[in-house]
Amino acid sequence: MRAYVEFAVKKFQDKMAYRLDFFMGIVNTAITIVVYLCIYKALYGGATEVDGISYRMVATSFVITLGLSNAFHFNEMFLEHKIHDGSITNEFLKPVSFLFRMLAENIGEGVFKLVFHFLPALLFTLLHTKLCPPKSAPGLIAMFISVAFGYLILWLISFIIQTWSFWLFSVWGIMTIKNVFVNILAGTLLPLWFMPTALRKIISFTPFESIYFTPVRIYLGELNGSQILSGIAVQVLWIVTLGIIANLFWKRGIKKLVVQGG
Amino acid sequence: MGEIRVVLQSLKMSIHTRMQYRVDSLVATLAVFIRESANIIAIYLALLKFDRINDWNVNEMLFLYSILFLTYAFVVSLFADLRQFSDTIREGRFDRLLVRPRSLLLQLILNNADLIASAGHGTLGLLLFVISAGRVGIHWDFVTVLYYIGAIIGGILIQGGMFIVFSSLCFYFVETGSIRDIFYWNMRKFAGYPISIYHKLIQGILIYVVPFAFVNYFPAQYLLRKEDMANYPAIYIYIAPFVGIIVYAAAYLFWRVSVRRYYSTGN
Repeated sequence: MRAYVEFAVKKFQDKMAYRLDFFMGIVNTAITIVVYLCIYKALYGGATEVDGISYRMVATSFVITLGLSNAFHFNEMFLEHKIHDGSITNEFLKPVSFLFRMLAENIGEGVFKLVFHFLPALLFTLLHTKLCPPKSAPGLIAMFISVAFGYLILWLISFIIQTWSFWLFSVWGIMTIKNVFVNILAGTLLPLWFMPTALRKIISFTPFESIYFTPVRIYLGELNGSQILSGIAVQVLWIVTLGIIANLFWKRGIKKLVVQGG
Repeated sequence: MGEIRVVLQSLKMSIHTRMQYRVDSLVATLAVFIRESANIIAIYLALLKFDRINDWNVNEMLFLYSILFLTYAFVVSLFADLRQFSDTIREGRFDRLLVRPRSLLLQLILNNADLIASAGHGTLGLLLFVISAGRVGIHWDFVTVLYYIGAIIGGILIQGGMFIVFSSLCFYFVETGSIRDIFYWNMRKFAGYPISIYHKLIQGILIYVVPFAFVNYFPAQYLLRKEDMANYPAIYIYIAPFVGIIVYAAAYLFWRVSVRRYYSTGN
């Protein structure tokens, strides 16, 4: 375990080295927040509530989702590059699990973005916009748990597609299409409250709802008590399901692996 | 005449390169198309619920967006080497051009063409145009058609000019990627909405700093005449097609001055 924490910390420090990127990341996030809040305000057009959802709830949900989606962003071509240049073979010689090392590094990068891109941008937003405070302390703790699970779900989906690079020449196209699905169905572009009813129903049967929307709803107090538990239970169910699928592809993929040259 | 032959020859080469990987090209085009559709789908879904944004309905929004895609389809092929100019320098591709008997900028423009991205953006732009153009109440006659074509060419020049400016910055700074991300890519995304909904500062940037407003908002206003145009000087909708010439000329001068600072990164 300590080795993996070390990987995460290393990646974090790695990112610290690029100061300009770091500063621009904050500016970028702040501008994005301001712009999208303008868009939602214009959509609301002066109405205080739409379908029982206040503007402030939408703003809060957008800011949380943006922060999480920033943090949940990592290099999805990692495995493909490792396979193409053959360096994946070195990874198998090391005394740590390649899979967990990848996860640890991605988490390290995510925590960096959360702390240094998102938090300053959030503070800046709070200067000019009122957001909803957390509903309750236990709710906040439940939200953090659900954020971690949401991350795992998204990471596993991405990992499954990454393993396809054992068979395909390039997974870039499929990865791009996957990201479109995530952006729309997980509510990064438009909160799921405002989706057409039929689409919303379909989304509830997919893992996408569990990524950002469950943590957001827990934070806002839209889910409480037993609903929180069932929301998290659904997340766990998806993690187990996707984990099994990921493991299957990974095991098959390694067997299939042929590295040329030497 | 010689110049035209060079242009056609280099376009032919670009197509040949892509056609070596037919299936891969097709999948990549499809992926670009779907990726760019995401924002459109989001706008469409949002307007299903909210109906209008600052009095713009869904067809008007799609029309506004279509101009961004149509112009970018040309920009991405013409200015492909300038999109990631720091890479072009780092890989030594720029050095190669220095020894050839043609203008540097012309060579950069002709050299590479990202036809995949062009096909993806172009198809989407045409599709949005076909869906929306008949439903937004534009009376298409000789003048409007001429204006529209002028606006598209102007939009290409504005964005090309911006690419040239961002590329010129590479002669002064080592890494300009994040500045370009903010000022080009983000602003382009914002230009997909009527700019009147934004904070004054952002409107100012979109009109005077990275003039995307002249790429799609003001041209669309000439054709649609929405009420929010009252916030801006009326002359802007008439000068929109010409702004491109000014931006491009200014960018070209900046490039000429900046390129003198260049000394190769190699050896």
